Amino acid sequence: MTQDLAGREASGDQAGAVSTAVDGAAVDGSQAETAADAAPSAGAAPQRFGVIGWLRWIWRQLTSMRTALVLLFLLALASVPGSVLPQQGIDPAAVSQYYAAHPALAPFLAKLSGFDVFGAPWFAAIYLLLFTSLAGCVLPRTYRLARSARQPPPKAPRHLGRLPQAAGFLTSGPPDQALAAAAGLLRRRRFRIRTGDGCVSAEKGYLHEVGNLAFHVALLGLLVSVALGGLFGYKANKLLVERETFANTPVGLDAFHPGRLVSASDLQPFSITLRKFTARYIASGVQRGQPSWFGASIRYNSRYGGQQHGYDLRVNHPLSVDGVQVFLIGHGYAPVFKVTDAHGVVRFDQAVPFIPVEQSGLTSAGVVKVPDARPRQLGFAGVFLPTEIVVGGRLVSAFPAPDYPRVSLVSYAGNLGLESGQPQSVYSLDTSRMRRLAVSPRPLAPGQSIVLPDGLGKLTFTGYRQWASLAITYDPGQLPALVSALTALAGLVLSFLVRRRRIFVRAGAAAEADEAVPSPGAADVDADQQATAVEVGGLTRSDAAGGFETEFAELASEIMQDVRGAALGQPGGEVAAAVPKGE
Amino acid sequence: MRNTGLAQVSNVTLVLAIMLYAIAMLAYAGDLAFGKRRASTVTSPGQRPARAEAVALVGAASGAELAGHAFPADPADPSELADLSGDAAASAAAHGAAGGGAAGSGNGRFRPGGAGLREPAVAQAGRSPWPQGPWLRAAFLLTCAGLALQSTAVATRGLAEHRVPWGNMYEFIGAITCAAVLVLILAAIRFRAYYLGLFVLLPVVLALAVDVVVIYTPPGQLVPALQSYWITIHVTAMIIAIGMFIFGAVVTVLYLLSSRHERRVAAGREAAAAGIMARLPGAETLDRLAYRAILFAFPAWTFAVIAGAMWADHAWGRYWGWDPKETWSFIIWLVYAAFLHARATAGWRGRRAAYIQLFGFACLMFNIVAVNLWISGMHSYAGVH
Repeated sequence: MTQDLAGREASGDQAGAVSTAVDGAAVDGSQAETAADAAPSAGAAPQRFGVIGWLRWIWRQLTSMRTALVLLFLLALASVPGSVLPQQGIDPAAVSQYYAAHPALAPFLAKLSGFDVFGAPWFAAIYLLLFTSLAGCVLPRTYRLARSARQPPPKAPRHLGRLPQAAGFLTSGPPDQALAAAAGLLRRRRFRIRTGDGCVSAEKGYLHEVGNLAFHVALLGLLVSVALGGLFGYKANKLLVERETFANTPVGLDAFHPGRLVSASDLQPFSITLRKFTARYIASGVQRGQPSWFGASIRYNSRYGGQQHGYDLRVNHPLSVDGVQVFLIGHGYAPVFKVTDAHGVVRFDQAVPFIPVEQSGLTSAGVVKVPDARPRQLGFAGVFLPTEIVVGGRLVSAFPAPDYPRVSLVSYAGNLGLESGQPQSVYSLDTSRMRRLAVSPRPLAPGQSIVLPDGLGKLTFTGYRQWASLAITYDPGQLPALVSALTALAGLVLSFLVRRRRIFVRAGAAAEADEAVPSPGAADVDADQQATAVEVGGLTRSDAAGGFETEFAELASEIMQDVRGAALGQPGGEVAAAVPKGE
Repeated sequence: MRNTGLAQVSNVTLVLAIMLYAIAMLAYAGDLAFGKRRASTVTSPGQRPARAEAVALVGAASGAELAGHAFPADPADPSELADLSGDAAASAAAHGAAGGGAAGSGNGRFRPGGAGLREPAVAQAGRSPWPQGPWLRAAFLLTCAGLALQSTAVATRGLAEHRVPWGNMYEFIGAITCAAVLVLILAAIRFRAYYLGLFVLLPVVLALAVDVVVIYTPPGQLVPALQSYWITIHVTAMIIAIGMFIFGAVVTVLYLLSSRHERRVAAGREAAAAGIMARLPGAETLDRLAYRAILFAFPAWTFAVIAGAMWADHAWGRYWGWDPKETWSFIIWLVYAAFLHARATAGWRGRRAAYIQLFGFACLMFNIVAVNLWISGMHSYAGVH
């Protein structure tokens, strides 16, 4: 990465060849760069270099363009498993499914961080090496840019005709006058000028390198921003049933993923109540069943006891509260059950969130656990069908809206296994120590009940509510990341649009027709009598977007007009102003 | 809500557009087969003056050269050289391209004002930027008409749905092919690269045929996740970038074929004037054209990914979450970044860099097809049943 993205177009091998043909002065920087790049290609490891030598060699290898290329490819390659394998941080349920489907392979993949690719040490190793390589390339280049911005452009090469762009013409005025006219024009075009000894050098387009460096530095900034979010940000999830409230505390949340430097006390203590969730679905056509609108009407207060505010939380319409953002990311049904045990005591009366197992009809699965039921604990597992129909003897849901809601449950009695101390999912039932009860499998409509055999009790499906799942995120790296990304883009565009170019002008007494090169010394001889030959050469180190040829042709043509105008005593503008020699 | 009449108009105009593209391809092929014979760009190294070759290499990045040499110089047509007047590099290159005995102009050193170093002159409006010859003119007009029809198809589809018409895979493929044809037309005019028509339209027509026959989706509403003004920004930027990537990939394939042809000619295994390759402007020009396409496409892609991250932040609460589509966008970005770096590295430019670019394009196609259809993620909007 010792080269700029596009700068090598002219500065590398090609212009390098030119520069050896012309003068070292023409492309001073690029030769050093070419040499630096050639070192690794030789592949010669230092022999008897000592520690410093080896370190230098390693550093040079690391910051070479080839290494950067390899690292770019490695990073791309390393990302692939992250898109193919389920990732713990994105979809933990899919990881569990993968474990179930591939019991032999999954632990092996887990050992290789296959389910956490983007947090894997080997992934980090690649991008850290890449960024080290990037920094190792950007720093010296920044130094070089700063240096070249303070120095005048290099001396003009002797034979301008060997430059990629060259033109020549004759004028009747003396060489000094021609050079002064040319320098005046180039100065007006905001070129930096160096004059002296029968030549003018001009350079322009430093913004190319500035843009290029800004791009690479901004990438480093992006990495820092991401790290900032990872250290000081947090992510949390909450499944909230209609008419319920939660507070933004670790206890109130279903899942809490704090950054490395975040503690529970850093959470912003707002609370949210879900008043009503609304979903609309397309009722006909091929898109039938596809959602067309989601909305959650919520109330929130930013501090305990503070003023309550209403808000319409929708997809693409998050809530911002106390610097934290709350997003609507999912929804489903929560049937409400009332369970009476053998003693006639109501042991359970609440809404139970069921999780959708398919999207076209929102068939949702869930369990009801009644640990307080006596004499036996009771458990129920089943599905909620928003629009129940029977297809080939199987219950399915034909539409996601609750047009014909039914619940189909399997009943169990026995020991729920809750006292074992092991945490249990609220969405699964451990039936290993339970007995399945013989109950009619007929699905329940709202208001209907299952009367359990042996007088064990009764379950009533009293109705249903909806739930919304919310994502709560706090990311202090967000704004820096945006600024970095936009800076990178601006730098990229700048480096592609601006070209760094040099224009050289030489003037001397015109040579005899058969003489190869005009001798600079000839200028001393009778300048009044002899025509002056003016050569204009152009070189660009980075012409990614093209067009230098046209620019050069125009510039050379204008130089000719100005120079000839000056010779005829018709100075164009301030052309005639004397140019100090040597700058 | 939906306007079935307009949707019908969209379907019919799209089919008509495909037909026009197909006829345009025939006309482009006709131009390659029967058009005015042009001089071969390919000369064996011995024939080619060393000086001109060096200059041609050095002048690599210049736009005027590209414009001037979209077609090989025609020695029978003096205007070919006239419009390159004024700079030694271009005219020397033109001499080289013409394969003539231009060595004198290269070796004759620089006698200012004399025969060696030409007087500067702003390039005059030389050859017309419009296509030459009846075949090419017909083909180009057909392409433009096809694009007009396809744009109508896209627009009427959007009007029928009351939304931006790139909400599923059917519409997306229609949009990116439309962008590719637009890039073709602009590049053809700017660089006089009309010869590319056949090669760009071929994948466009194939993709559109698959689009219409296999994955047609009736007009419909957007899922709530896509109901945002961000779809206009993010997806439109993606479409433009992909259009340019398609163009770049096609030109790169031509570059690889052309460079193979030139090496075979140099080795004496193939006649210089043989086959279609002899009708193309030469590997160097194609390489530069492809590079230029990526130079525009890469920032567009970068912008599209940034816009996508901003939308993701707005919709999902994180600007980057390694969703499969995001991961592959990142991979594509890396590979094209590698291409840009490779093209600026000695030993990697040329064929190797071209292969990297094609690999990047393969990743892009994987992201559009495979990730849409077979890998589920938060970007599963293909709507293909």
